[in-house]
Amino acid sequence: MKKQYFLILLAAIIMALVISCKQSAQYKALIITGQSNHNWKASSPILKQILEETGLFSAEIAITPEEGGDMTTFDPDFSKYKLVVLDYNGDSWSDKTKSGFVEFVTNGGGVVSYHGSCMAFPDWKEYNRITGLGGWKDRNEKDGPYVYYAGNRLISDTTAGPAGSHGAAHDFEVRTRITDHPVTRGLPVRWMHGNDELYQQLRGPAENMQVLATAFADTSFKGTGRNEPVLLALEYGQGRIFNTLLGHAQEGGGPAMQCAGFIVTLQRGAEWAATGTVTQSVPSDFPTAAAVVLRTDFKEIILEDAFEMIAGYDIQKSTRYYTYIQNQIRTAGGNKEKLLDLEKRMVKVLTSSEATTESKKLMLRELSWMGSDYCISSIKKLIEVPELKDEAEFALARLNPLN
Amino acid sequence: MSNKTSRRDFIKRSAAAAAGVVVIPEIIPSSALGMGGKTAPGNRIVIGAIGTGSQGMANMRDFLELKDAVQFVAVCDVDSLRLEKAKNTVDAANKNTDCRTYGDYREFLEKEKLDAVSIALPDHWHGIIYTEAVNKKLHVYGEKPICRTIKDGQTIVAAVKKNNVIWQTGSWQRSQPHFRRGAELVINGRIGKVSRIDVGLPDGGRSIGTPPVKDVPPELNWEMWLGPAPKVPYRGVSHWDWRWILDYSGGQLTDWAGHHIDIANWGVGLEHTGPVEIRGTGVYPPEGIYNAPVEYDFICRYANGIEMRVANSSRLEHGMGTTWYGDKGWVHTDRGNRLTASQPSILDEVIGENEIHLYKSENHWQNFIDCIHTGKPAIAPIEVAYRAISVALLGEIAMTTGETIKWDPEKEEIVGNPRAGRLLARPYRKPWTLPTV
Repeated sequence: MKKQYFLILLAAIIMALVISCKQSAQYKALIITGQSNHNWKASSPILKQILEETGLFSAEIAITPEEGGDMTTFDPDFSKYKLVVLDYNGDSWSDKTKSGFVEFVTNGGGVVSYHGSCMAFPDWKEYNRITGLGGWKDRNEKDGPYVYYAGNRLISDTTAGPAGSHGAAHDFEVRTRITDHPVTRGLPVRWMHGNDELYQQLRGPAENMQVLATAFADTSFKGTGRNEPVLLALEYGQGRIFNTLLGHAQEGGGPAMQCAGFIVTLQRGAEWAATGTVTQSVPSDFPTAAAVVLRTDFKEIILEDAFEMIAGYDIQKSTRYYTYIQNQIRTAGGNKEKLLDLEKRMVKVLTSSEATTESKKLMLRELSWMGSDYCISSIKKLIEVPELKDEAEFALARLNPLN
Repeated sequence: MSNKTSRRDFIKRSAAAAAGVVVIPEIIPSSALGMGGKTAPGNRIVIGAIGTGSQGMANMRDFLELKDAVQFVAVCDVDSLRLEKAKNTVDAANKNTDCRTYGDYREFLEKEKLDAVSIALPDHWHGIIYTEAVNKKLHVYGEKPICRTIKDGQTIVAAVKKNNVIWQTGSWQRSQPHFRRGAELVINGRIGKVSRIDVGLPDGGRSIGTPPVKDVPPELNWEMWLGPAPKVPYRGVSHWDWRWILDYSGGQLTDWAGHHIDIANWGVGLEHTGPVEIRGTGVYPPEGIYNAPVEYDFICRYANGIEMRVANSSRLEHGMGTTWYGDKGWVHTDRGNRLTASQPSILDEVIGENEIHLYKSENHWQNFIDCIHTGKPAIAPIEVAYRAISVALLGEIAMTTGETIKWDPEKEEIVGNPRAGRLLARPYRKPWTLPTV
């Protein structure tokens, strides 16, 4: 008996080590900011948090001199980082810094270009080749074609004209165009994005570039009536670049940055740019075409919180913790250990005197098909509870063939 | 009255007699049977309707357009406003005020002496009411999908077989020439050997979150609307929008399975079997009372090697509709008279006299009435409908469990996965039970 306890303890320690290893950040990221027509003071710490929430990155924020300052003092050592995140639109960097950045990408460094960074450096040719598409600052046909989707066709349009504009911010639907890219694999094909500026009429070299997702620029919001690119994947030398045109920052981020779709595509894009693969699973709260989903704290729900919150469920409350648990069951994919762990947590809700009747009903619905012998006795006891009798009988009737 | 009864008996006998004989349905022009023009009052099919919402009323209008081929005499609905509207429609057609109304289908089935019934209800009611109607030996025009669970479907199929009634599923695409033509080209090998099929069904729609609980409006019998489904408070969501809630439906996937999956099966002769392996994923709304998948993408492998991919249309090359891919090309068909092919010449092909000619019907509702008279199977019979919706329901189980599902289409059971097997049926809320056949 004692030996068994020891083994369990040992297993627990090993598990804890494995988990902590997994969560220790493997990759260093550098977020460059300090000048922008956007609220970089709001956005850059949020970008840092979003990256670090993955457990994959530790991020530092490099702040350049103010506009008109001595840019030669901005001289980061790119070689220390796996990923550079651009949240910058301002004065030209020094030649040394520029060539250092190009060398970094050429040698395989990852880049995430975020929202307003597509406006930066109109005259720096390599920057525009790295980011693919840009706008404003007198960009026009000399800088490259307009790129957009017409129906299911990708269009590269060399018509003369200015680059970069947007209408009033609004919620809009993002359409995944390439579903087998590491960044987009497993994501919904259509999902709602929180109130944001939709950039349009961007132009650029667009070399070695894949348009991962677009959004329809509705003419009722002064849009072009085209499906404009919102997520791009590029290759430059040995480097990979993820360019998200989404995420216009308000104080505290606002819906465009709080959007779970913005957050998750940024996290996946960052991992892909840094490593070439994506190990993160698609979270249960990734938005769909049904509605915008915001993460006001930029965090994904975790299992412990979901079960704590579900115990307080009543019929007027959000169903997000319930759908999170359902998603956990689906992604367990029949794995018995994972299902048993979930079952035990559900039974804990069933037997808790704190948990609401409505939360117990939800647990009974799930247990009715995914439960094992473990839950039977707890469910049987609930037949005595008048307001749970129906649901308990429902669950037992369905579980019965196995028992 | 005695006259009517004996005629009803004749109609039933003829159906029963024919059922054992007919193997391949043929085209019998209604004119040859004296059914194209005016029908003598004694030959009219006496019919009622259970469920008089949007689809129920659409079907009623389609039957009424057949002029005096049918005579509606009674209607049933749990919403008294809809019931009144339905009665008014029938009375206007009959030029009287005789149409009888019921709020409870049990009373309707007990009291009415009918030949046939047209049923259009939320899917969670299909198992009970279809089976009860068939057990009363009524010919049924029943809306797709014919069941919410595989078990419901098996029960209805068994009831129809046992009672020898004419069953027509509301899979009306079968009665449109371009769908038949597409299926006929494929089944006669005009695109060579078919290796895969894409079936594109609609994407899911917007969420409404979790609306507040409301008082049930006086016209609605909410308890009866829920019936065998779990007891939940009324939130102003019932008619039409039940489609997005898994207690009552499987969303766009199960709504449309009876159309494009049905057509897909028709073109490759898979109407009396099912897949052997199903795997795929769904995208579920993270929030709100609408919980049916808004995207879905699963692949069904058949014993003959064909792979059928069923997905929301945004994911597929040809979008909505059915696309058969063979080693010599593809054929795509969809609503709006759409029929296209990899080479236009495929569409000009003539089907020879000795090749396969699929069942031809020009009017889905007329076909039902004709078959009641002739006793031949209708163009969308019960087992075919059951096999079409089974594909969607098995896809739903694969998505819910996150597992690859093995299915035995002969024994109609899931192989080696008792947990997934539980999802083949759903217990009913007391006092409701699935009727015995």
